[in-house]
Amino acid sequence: MTTDQDLPMDGQPATAVFAAKGIDVTPIKDQGVIKVVKHQGVDKERPMIGDRVTVHYTGRLLSGKKFDCSRDRKEPFCFNVGKGQVLKAWDIGVLSMQRGEVCTLLCKPEYAYGAAGNPDKIPPSSPVVFEMELLKFEGEMLTDDGGILRRIKVKGDGYTNPNDGARVDVHLEGSCGGRLFDCRDVSFTVGEAEDKGVPYGVDRALDKMQKGECCLLYLKPKYGFGSEGKPEYKVGPDKDLVYEVTLKDFQRAKESWEMDLNEKLEMSLEVKRKGNQYFKAGRHYQAIIQYQRIVSWLEMECGTGIEQQKKIQDFLLTSHLNLALCFLRTKDFSQVVENCNKVIELDESNEKALYRRGEARLHRNEFSMAMADFQKVLQVNPSNRAAHAQISICQSKIKEHHEKDKKTYANMFQKFAEWDAKVCKLTVLGYIHSSVTKEENTKSNNTKC
Amino acid sequence: MNEDQVNDIIQRWVRQQYSVPEDYQQFKSLGSTCLTECDSAQLLKFLQDEKNQTCSPDELLHSLLELIENIDPGAISETILALVPHLQTVLLRLEDRKSTYLGLALSALQKQLSRLPVPYSQQQEEDDEHGLCRCCNAMAAFTKPFVEEVKRKNGNYMTSSEDEELRTVLLKFCMRSLRDPLLEAELNRDRRSSLWLFATEIMVTLPAIQESLSELLFFNSLKKQTDNSQSKESRACLAYLLFVQLITIDSFPAVFSPVFVLQCNMEHINQLLSRYAESHLLKGLALYAKSLESVQDNSLPVSLLELKSFYSVPRVRQRESGLQLFQLFINKLDAEAKHKFFRCMLKTSNHAGVESYIVKNIRNQVDFSMQPGNANKWFLGEEFLSLLGLVLCLPQGAETDLLNTMDRIMESLNLLRYLLLRDKELRSTTDVWEELCRIKDEYLKMLRVCIGISRVHYSAELKALREDQKLKAKEARDAARSTRLVKSITVKHESNMSPEVQHQVLQSALVTFDLMESLIVRIKEITEEKNRLPQL
Repeated sequence: MTTDQDLPMDGQPATAVFAAKGIDVTPIKDQGVIKVVKHQGVDKERPMIGDRVTVHYTGRLLSGKKFDCSRDRKEPFCFNVGKGQVLKAWDIGVLSMQRGEVCTLLCKPEYAYGAAGNPDKIPPSSPVVFEMELLKFEGEMLTDDGGILRRIKVKGDGYTNPNDGARVDVHLEGSCGGRLFDCRDVSFTVGEAEDKGVPYGVDRALDKMQKGECCLLYLKPKYGFGSEGKPEYKVGPDKDLVYEVTLKDFQRAKESWEMDLNEKLEMSLEVKRKGNQYFKAGRHYQAIIQYQRIVSWLEMECGTGIEQQKKIQDFLLTSHLNLALCFLRTKDFSQVVENCNKVIELDESNEKALYRRGEARLHRNEFSMAMADFQKVLQVNPSNRAAHAQISICQSKIKEHHEKDKKTYANMFQKFAEWDAKVCKLTVLGYIHSSVTKEENTKSNNTKC
Repeated sequence: MNEDQVNDIIQRWVRQQYSVPEDYQQFKSLGSTCLTECDSAQLLKFLQDEKNQTCSPDELLHSLLELIENIDPGAISETILALVPHLQTVLLRLEDRKSTYLGLALSALQKQLSRLPVPYSQQQEEDDEHGLCRCCNAMAAFTKPFVEEVKRKNGNYMTSSEDEELRTVLLKFCMRSLRDPLLEAELNRDRRSSLWLFATEIMVTLPAIQESLSELLFFNSLKKQTDNSQSKESRACLAYLLFVQLITIDSFPAVFSPVFVLQCNMEHINQLLSRYAESHLLKGLALYAKSLESVQDNSLPVSLLELKSFYSVPRVRQRESGLQLFQLFINKLDAEAKHKFFRCMLKTSNHAGVESYIVKNIRNQVDFSMQPGNANKWFLGEEFLSLLGLVLCLPQGAETDLLNTMDRIMESLNLLRYLLLRDKELRSTTDVWEELCRIKDEYLKMLRVCIGISRVHYSAELKALREDQKLKAKEARDAARSTRLVKSITVKHESNMSPEVQHQVLQSALVTFDLMESLIVRIKEITEEKNRLPQL
């Protein structure tokens, strides 16, 4: 698709071409990255910072020698632009391209491989040339379900981000279907955006934002106002939302290692209360955040003296139990099991943990394991009626599955039994077993179990 | 044996789930009296003969799979080596459900393979006593035609679910191979052993089935469903093979920034360092060193330290190579990051050796910052005071165990002495200097008290030890002189050390206290000298 007519074998003419036709795309105009456009883009859209871009590229030294090419791999190359994931020249160059554009970038070593170069491929302090084709770009997914998509309008500075418990000052503009419904300056604590009527999606996006950043967040209902909608903003149920968020300032909450144990215990009390509040209000995702903070603070602590140890243990126990319950509501069953396991590690016969783990396993169709858990519950507390009910459910599910299996395999066994190709079976087995016999006598019995 | 007897045995075998040892023996003897040499194509042809029409590849597969499930633990590699070519033939002949059966076969085979011990020395690998290396080669050969099939279909836009399933099955095979046996294996670029070649096969297969290495290694964090610990182990091994052993590095994109590569690799390094298995640890340390080397000195920003993967890694066991690596990492941090890292280490390491190492680094940084053009607030101004406060403190006040914290205290006194000798630069910010002196005075006061207490305690111990020795010697002499049995009263020893060793330890403790005291005295002298000199 691309030709090498513009890049003769020696360096001189190449740089001359760039000098004649090229544009300096660096922000500080130091001639570090010069671009020559070969084919214009198909539309005027340019990618925004953080966008996931897909390109094809060929990298060459000034001599014309190729050192890297995505087409050789038969695979386009994907990355998030403007985030320092790639060479500086790329972050600058690709942001200047339009969708469908094909161009060449001449890059000074400071914007590419620097004084060190790259051991086998690139000599020290080498300028390099990249042929680029921008195939497509899309917003950056902040969650694996694609429920929060971000496109950055203005890049922030500094490298730190707000963490859970950080205090943030933001400017928000929320719209639905093109209609602006919320426009204000607001301050809140990360993890508790709910208290100020700010959706979960915005809350979760904050820990990926830099100070001064202005971005657009595209939220699916799960991360917006869900199936309830928000009557006071006249937003109906199950609506997609778009929020423009500017992170004006923030103060990070202390890291776990920056806090001493007493501080952590004090904070855990408050945080637990907050978590319980959210749970009662049905805000399970928010409750999860709070309980997880307690776990992250205390899971590595031992405390001095029996009293402290007991406090730590109590907090961890209740946090894990509550997390298990929350995850049952959000249907995140593997997380339920994980949290119940942690409780059972601390307290073998914890009725609630066993019960909840049983529930989760039942949902995952792990019927016999679920039944074992419910039976253990009855051992601990014989009068637990719910456990009795669950056991019946397990039993009937197991029976159901056995019936299904029987039907599937019935034919197979039938066929084998009717099969009169004894010689067929014989020869297969015979051939195989005879080759095993050869080494039977010489091997040792030393295998892992 | 006649036909009826044979039929009988087969029917019995078919009805049971597992072969019973006696049956196994019988089949073996039957087998050796039947066909001895027969290549698989001929075999299959014979089986599909009109007389034997009911024997379909499906059913043959079932019996082969069953054989794999029930392999005699003593004959794992032989059985696998014998079965695999047949399996391949049968699978290639299947019309539909090929991928499903391939998946079942690979799963069953790998399960058996994982029971074989992995060789960990060159000699062991060459001997291949348990056949793991041969089996790995056989597995690679086994999967080849299926990989080729996927490659052929790669250009098409329309892929059927069958094609997708084939890709998934092969991906699963690769990932499992990475974590077992490759993660345990000892690999060396200079010695292209069987396991090295197997690793190369896996690394080549992944892009062939359109699994991008960069996606797997760098952009996998969002894919929650594959983010379990097994997948993490596989990807950590992949990172090691690519970046340390340089397998297929030529076709890996060369456009990632070194800091980004380091950041992504921290997850893999953490994974490798989280287990105590030697094979994992060595790989983790090697990957860490390699990733750090390509980063420019003094370039890593403080925000990187806030990533969980970064501040949990320093809890690396401090082995020799670990210490070198530790310093390499410190060298790559910029001034603010160093400051934060030192604070973190002083607060959390609880290890006097590590702390003393950090204090030494702090001194080097102050020295560096004093050189023209290097001034920064992290090691010269107010921010430095917060760090100093952490260095010049006794965690348990006057009751601090000086022996355990000796390394750190000596370094801290050295740092103090250094600062006082270079007071000119520091005095230029008068607030800083005053505060520094205050911290110093409080520290030294507390330290002197502590030394006093410790000295009293250890002197008493030493005296008691000597008394005890004298008593013992006297009793021995008495016992030697008289024929009566003497009941010896021994003083309870609090440790497992012999009295001689205890004596040595106590003596050297007292010497250490003397050393500390003399340093403190020297510091006081310098302070007085400086105070007497006119301010410039």
